[in-house]
Amino acid sequence: MGKFLVHRLLGVLPVMFGVSVIIFLLMHLAPGDVTTVLLGPQATEAAKTELRHALGLDQPLPLQYGRWLWRTLHGDFGVSIATQLHVAALVLPRFVNTMLLTVASLFLAIVIGYGAGLFAALRTRSIFDRGTMVVTLLAGSTPPFWLGLILVLLFAIRLRWLPVSGMTDMAGDGGALDVLRHLVLPAVTTALGPAAIITRMVRSSLREALERPHVRVARAKGLSRGVLLRRHVILNALPPIVTITGLQLGYLIGGALLTEVVFAWPGLGSLLYDSITARDMPAVQATTLLIALAFVLVNILVDFINVLLDPRLRDA
Amino acid sequence: MSRRTTTLRAALLAATTLALAGLTSGVARAAGTLVWGMPAETDILDPHATGGWSTYQVTYQIFEGLVKEDLTKADVPTPPLVPALATSWEISPDGTVYTFKLRPGVKFHDGTPFDAAAVKFNFERFWDESSPNFYKKAKAFVIAYTKWIKSVEVVDPMTVRVTLKAPNYQWLRIGLQSYGQPLMISPTAVKKYGNGGIALHPIGTGPFRFVERDQGVKTVLERNPDYWGRPAKLDRIIFRPLQDPATRVNALENGEIQMMSTPPWDEIQRLVGEGFKLSTNANVPYINFLHLNFKNDAMKDIRVRKAINMAIDREGIAHDIYHGTGRAEYGMLSPGTDAYDPTFKSYSYDPEGAKKLLAEAGHAHDLKLVFELPQYGTGELVETWIQRDLKKVGIDVQLKKYEWITYMGKWAGGMPASVAFNTIGWGMSTPAWIDIVSRCDSAPPGGVNSGWYCNKEVDKLLDAAILERDPVKMKAIYQKANRLIMDDAAFVPTVDDLQPMLLSPKVKGFVNPPEDWFDLSTVSVE
Repeated sequence: MGKFLVHRLLGVLPVMFGVSVIIFLLMHLAPGDVTTVLLGPQATEAAKTELRHALGLDQPLPLQYGRWLWRTLHGDFGVSIATQLHVAALVLPRFVNTMLLTVASLFLAIVIGYGAGLFAALRTRSIFDRGTMVVTLLAGSTPPFWLGLILVLLFAIRLRWLPVSGMTDMAGDGGALDVLRHLVLPAVTTALGPAAIITRMVRSSLREALERPHVRVARAKGLSRGVLLRRHVILNALPPIVTITGLQLGYLIGGALLTEVVFAWPGLGSLLYDSITARDMPAVQATTLLIALAFVLVNILVDFINVLLDPRLRDA
Repeated sequence: MSRRTTTLRAALLAATTLALAGLTSGVARAAGTLVWGMPAETDILDPHATGGWSTYQVTYQIFEGLVKEDLTKADVPTPPLVPALATSWEISPDGTVYTFKLRPGVKFHDGTPFDAAAVKFNFERFWDESSPNFYKKAKAFVIAYTKWIKSVEVVDPMTVRVTLKAPNYQWLRIGLQSYGQPLMISPTAVKKYGNGGIALHPIGTGPFRFVERDQGVKTVLERNPDYWGRPAKLDRIIFRPLQDPATRVNALENGEIQMMSTPPWDEIQRLVGEGFKLSTNANVPYINFLHLNFKNDAMKDIRVRKAINMAIDREGIAHDIYHGTGRAEYGMLSPGTDAYDPTFKSYSYDPEGAKKLLAEAGHAHDLKLVFELPQYGTGELVETWIQRDLKKVGIDVQLKKYEWITYMGKWAGGMPASVAFNTIGWGMSTPAWIDIVSRCDSAPPGGVNSGWYCNKEVDKLLDAAILERDPVKMKAIYQKANRLIMDDAAFVPTVDDLQPMLLSPKVKGFVNPPEDWFDLSTVSVE
């Protein structure tokens, strides 16, 4: 198991290197000049040239990338060009906020997906099963930003149960409960799509496991339903469910970035948007690296859980 | 149902009720706090090294200059210039020497006294390249103001003299409109935090002082209790960037913000019907317009330029798209300037006349033109309207859209011959702004005369206007220059938006002046 983990973790390095090179090149290929952003339209060419030199933007691309990589490897993400804040101080709190939204959404997606999927699989072709399939089809096809606006109109504007936007009340510090109130709508908005997909996957995996010959034999032997499910059905159905859940976590990170705009949730989504439009290279690099790192680590975690569930996968 | 089950359910119900009560009651608001939902995060808060009206909306509350525009009046054509950190100023007969008497007893928010040494320090920061306090970025931003300066002297501890290279009677107002603004920053703060550090530690003398900034979330200011002038009414102002217009509307309706800028046009009447207050100003200091490209073959023909001016139904745009919060414009002087003439009408909507001119120019049906523009939400409606109107007179317009920063580079760099026109919304409360977009020597690089327009007669008039001390004569010269520019059909002024702001009924004392930013010291929230 240790060898498996080391092997997988070592694989992270080339992936991160590739991501950083691609983002670096994409940002440099994008038209537009950071000096126009920083100095305004009336700045003289001499001032722009001086600024390009001060920022090292007149250096050859490999040299610029090499310097950035060297600093990053030493834990220095540099200073944001647009905000003049240290990139770590700018990005890390946003990363935590995005993760909070993502984990809350994942929790909801798992509770809804696993619960509804299990129930639908055990009562196949029932009204609940058919209803679940219709609802999940709709939920899985609904764009999250539209769903978010509808939820806001209902729960925040019409019923006034929950706040519209932000992570805390602006005029005061309401503590953890305040954050929870603000978390409900964005988390539900982000979770519903993945919850629908997980529900369908749980249902079909369990259905497939329930139809297997050894399960029929066990049932014929008179095994109780609970024991049957625990020992012979759920364990066998879990690997694809865990895999799809892991993939959904990736989708959740992406979905959270969109939801953040609708709910003004101060996460990586709005930071990435602002940084790209300001051509703030250090902030863009750090943000995308963190998102990529989270995505890769989640995949490793999923593989690890699958190996625990099915040791045959260790050598796969 | 057993007694135990009943008790358990009752306890659960009570807990749920309490939790719901906690969830729905929200957090008690501090008295006199204004939360303002803005469409974008502001730039850094160093007034010498930043540009753009959304940032001035914050920095105006924190910093002051020697002179300021009085933004407490809405019903004036242009904000009057009033004393701020200078109690008075004298201009020499030849118009080159400005002597400022400074206001005694003023302190920066960090306790540093304001005096002539502080003024000198600030000028050194944004102008004097030989000074150790010089900040290159500040000079690049404040260039429209500093390029006129020859010298700055401390006459006595409360008097400063600035000598210009040449007379310029718009210089004071240019300072307040310059891309970066020459406002007074605490020298102690600059020495303590460094030139770059002011971005995060903005310390001025204004009615509000900086408390905190959570980048992308909020910027918080509080009342300056030691303010030299009339103290601000609000305890706090919280500036909140809310990018999505629907989110801003929802937050206003839900009471999370009390004021919002750039509301979606089609939502304004509904919100007013629900009791929210709409504030606009007819004398906005900017105009939306098209630069016509004098390097483009078709655009070199004045008949084509005039035809484009005549083919666009500006009144229709103002009525149908802006829903009454916009006004058609026919000249390049914005309504917020002294020189604006509301009766001036260059080219009325006349599609038949436009067709005739195009036919005369040999373009009855076959004219294809490229229109470069930035990609942003509400502008799109106007641009497709223009495309449709031009199609009606036989001009086939291809829209080429770019993300904002890319567009800024293209616009500031000047149009290549293949592009017929591009667009921008800009202006100042000084008519001298017209120099920036229309002078021969404002062509790129170094200028933003994006369409390469050049008329020496116009330049001569603009030179004369800047030297004219008599405001009536100055106004007449700018109006003449404007007429010449529109006779050349060098631009297509389109429609201004009248700076609509939506306010909660709880907000009192808000003034929407003829400027892009506001004095919030008069505002209170019930």
